[in-house]
Amino acid sequence: MKSKSVYKVPNGKLLKIFLDYNEKNNLINDISVTGDFFAYPEEAIEIIEEKLRSTKLDKKILLERISSIINDGDIEFIGLNAEGLTQGILMCLK
Amino acid sequence: MKEQWRLLHTENNPAYRNMAIDWAVLKANSKGKAPPTVRFYTWRPSAISIGYFQSLKEEIDLEMCKKYGVDYVRRITGGGAVYHEHELTYSIVIPEDHPQISKNIMESYGRICGAIIKGLDHLGIESRYVPINDIVVNGKKISGNAQTRKSRTVLQHGTVLNDVDVDKMFSLLRVSDEKIKDKLIADVKQRVTSIKHILGKEIDFVKVAAAMKVGFEEEFNIELEKGNLTEQELEDSKTFEKEYFSSREWNHKK
Repeated sequence: MKSKSVYKVPNGKLLKIFLDYNEKNNLINDISVTGDFFAYPEEAIEIIEEKLRSTKLDKKILLERISSIINDGDIEFIGLNAEGLTQGILMCLK
Repeated sequence: MKEQWRLLHTENNPAYRNMAIDWAVLKANSKGKAPPTVRFYTWRPSAISIGYFQSLKEEIDLEMCKKYGVDYVRRITGGGAVYHEHELTYSIVIPEDHPQISKNIMESYGRICGAIIKGLDHLGIESRYVPINDIVVNGKKISGNAQTRKSRTVLQHGTVLNDVDVDKMFSLLRVSDEKIKDKLIADVKQRVTSIKHILGKEIDFVKVAAAMKVGFEEEFNIELEKGNLTEQELEDSKTFEKEYFSSREWNHKK
């Protein structure tokens, strides 16, 4: 199922998520993370999008997964954080 | 003796070339082939640039751009969509380990914006930096800024609004909720200002650029010496223009 969310990250930027997920098991098929935030290095977002495929749309699982990708990749966000990204993704759930 | 950095003036270039030049200068500086460089530039035709992570179709009304002859381009920096018409755009390229640049990204935003603030001061405009990436005058935005770091090199570019046409800007940009578009336009008119609005008269590009030059020299305690792009930078900028900024693949990637 294809879905979209628009979420203003508290004290941050406007996040727009485009999500394609399996509504039977709530697993992510494909995700595009867009918005006016900053990420260093910029390639970080493509890595996150790739690594989130097949991840379950569950708050705890998503937050842990995103936090670990950020730590492993030495990624720095400005205007976005792991909690905001998790929230934006979950808002796509119908 | 003060450290000398290079100053470039490149007026009236298309969006693709402007973004390609910034990247070419970054590449040259990262290879030690160019000194720290400050560039002042303008856009012709007028153009919208979107942040690296933005969705093109989500942010821009492509039909209206076509109708008005407005270009569009995806930047290599994050941040939001900007309509470039009556403005001075600056860019600064400097090694990440230069003593004048903080390792901390937010601190370096503030420092580089300090140069613009000093420049505005020379035009008689008192402004201040508001994190994350704005410069405001009496609470209204006059400048937006965006930074990337690649190959251990910092590129920050940003705008200084000379004049602003919010209605035209919104005819080219999409908003998430059409129902609140009128309110949004009214809000933005309240939240954005320009040199012309503040001083009540137009200041031409050359004068704004002269003020900004002094701003950079004061903030970084350096001298800016007017120079040109090297042959290699010109060649690289043509390559980047063709392979990235004018390509559908790049601009429509999100």
